[in-house]
Amino acid sequence: MRIGIVCPYAMDVPGGVQFHVRDLAEYLLAAGHHVSVLAPADEETPLPTYVESAGKAVAVPYNGSVARLLFGPVTAARVSRWIERGGFEVVHVHEPISPSLSMLAMWACEGPLVATFHTSNARSRTLTTSRPLLQSGLEKIRGRIAVSEAARQFLLRHVEMDSTVIPNGVYVEDFARAHVAAHWQGTPQRPTIAFLGRIEEPRKGIAVLLGAVPRLLQKYPGLRVLVAGPGNPRDVLAGQPAAVRDACEFLGPVTDQEKAALLHSVDAYVAPNTGGESFGIILIEAMSAGAPVVASDIEAFRSVLRGGACGALFANADPPSLATTIDAVLSDPGLRARLRASGLERAREFDWSRVASEIINVYETVVASGAPVEVDELSERATSRRGVRLSAVRQIRRLRGGD
Amino acid sequence: MELVGWIALVVAIVAVVAWYLSYNAARLDRLHAKVEGSVSALDAQLVRRAEVSVELANSGLIDPASALLLAEAASESLDISDAAEVRAEVAEQGVDEHRARVETDLTRTLFAVLTPEVVADLRTRDGYADEQIDRVQAACQRVQLARRFYNDAVTDVQNMRAQPQVRLFRLAGHTDLPQVLDFDDSVPEW
Repeated sequence: MRIGIVCPYAMDVPGGVQFHVRDLAEYLLAAGHHVSVLAPADEETPLPTYVESAGKAVAVPYNGSVARLLFGPVTAARVSRWIERGGFEVVHVHEPISPSLSMLAMWACEGPLVATFHTSNARSRTLTTSRPLLQSGLEKIRGRIAVSEAARQFLLRHVEMDSTVIPNGVYVEDFARAHVAAHWQGTPQRPTIAFLGRIEEPRKGIAVLLGAVPRLLQKYPGLRVLVAGPGNPRDVLAGQPAAVRDACEFLGPVTDQEKAALLHSVDAYVAPNTGGESFGIILIEAMSAGAPVVASDIEAFRSVLRGGACGALFANADPPSLATTIDAVLSDPGLRARLRASGLERAREFDWSRVASEIINVYETVVASGAPVEVDELSERATSRRGVRLSAVRQIRRLRGGD
Repeated sequence: MELVGWIALVVAIVAVVAWYLSYNAARLDRLHAKVEGSVSALDAQLVRRAEVSVELANSGLIDPASALLLAEAASESLDISDAAEVRAEVAEQGVDEHRARVETDLTRTLFAVLTPEVVADLRTRDGYADEQIDRVQAACQRVQLARRFYNDAVTDVQNMRAQPQVRLFRLAGHTDLPQVLDFDDSVPEW
């Protein structure tokens, strides 16, 4: 199949959506499909051969902070050219409600269009004013995919549209076959626990973990807390007792291989996130790598861990509860073994082989025989006087019940 | 001098001082009223700017991503102006820090979305587009003017309240000292 994929954020910037697009594109290419990914990119950044640049993203206020997005008539024109040249049987846009490339692609497409919705935590005021602007675009989507139940609920609540839940994928084997890193491996005297994430973002929950460490040190004085991820340790450690500081080792940002090795070697992976997660792919990665998972009981994690069957849950934002749970895992090798086994089984459900085949099913359901995706003439002309009149006529017809 | 003479002198001095103080108090009162008036004017111009931005966003003249960005930023501004009205002391509280941030965001969004190239293209299209752009630009200019007038009024009050007779006799009472307002109100040069 000839597949066009649109990513609203620059591919060289780390992010859940970008990794998903990259993994999906590479899986489809390996399976023999023809894939082109359209994404924002800097001129200097080297891009994989399957990625085409739509221009450089621009910093603009959105959703309570500054986002790097791509919009404007020049971008819209580039999107149209990409569609015209591509001859795609299906176009798959990611995160079309973000005012960026995916939204423009949705607007510009006429034909088989699939969209994946990743987010579930935009501020509630976003989308209320913009409903009318989005509605006609969203109606063009023939196949709607949500990456989690939370994302699906978000969509239902805000735009009253349902979607199929197809989770984010993970290359399970890459993690399962990672090398053991001896310097991160836990011993009975010096057990190791790992945290991965942006340490300066409060919702990642490192403060909760640090709050649980003193109690854990009482029972495991040799405990090592391995913290991987970007951010300045100094701010995070400010105000923490000396014993806690000594127990922490900050690894900084890690490569994919190092991440897999870390998860493969530690005694437990801790996800103390306090919120803002619509999915929790890191949990799948940890389970693939064979790390027993200890996670906060937020909805997304509860769902991924099957209510506690595949990982140990603790009360969100509650350091004593976290300490008790980590203790239970570290003190019981039998429990760790059981969690490893059930975790791996659960992780396999999210392997790209399964996820991609579900996505391809959606493609095949929406593809019209033989007709490629074309540029929506109305969108080209919608910013001209004639187009404004045309779309007004369309609106009136729709209101009258015709069309 | 006779006793009557002394009494007359004291009464005269007291009368002069009383007149002087009430003159200053009245001046101060007028300056405070000017501040209140200019806050209301600034509030009105901010609302106007947000309204024309929403109109432009919904007009179909710009691409949907730009339209959404503009609509969101403008709606934030409108929402927060509603909230300010509910707190009946808009004249007293004026424009607070949160609102200043929201208005800065709207300015930045306008700059990001309405680049010189986009505007030049819109102006070549038809009278309607031209008019919309003019209205946005005029609204931005008026916001800038209103903020300047407000800050001038505030500086006048601050200067007067720093004067010794005002401080000594506490002519300002318990009124808060108004602060100069700072947010990005640049006007695009199209």
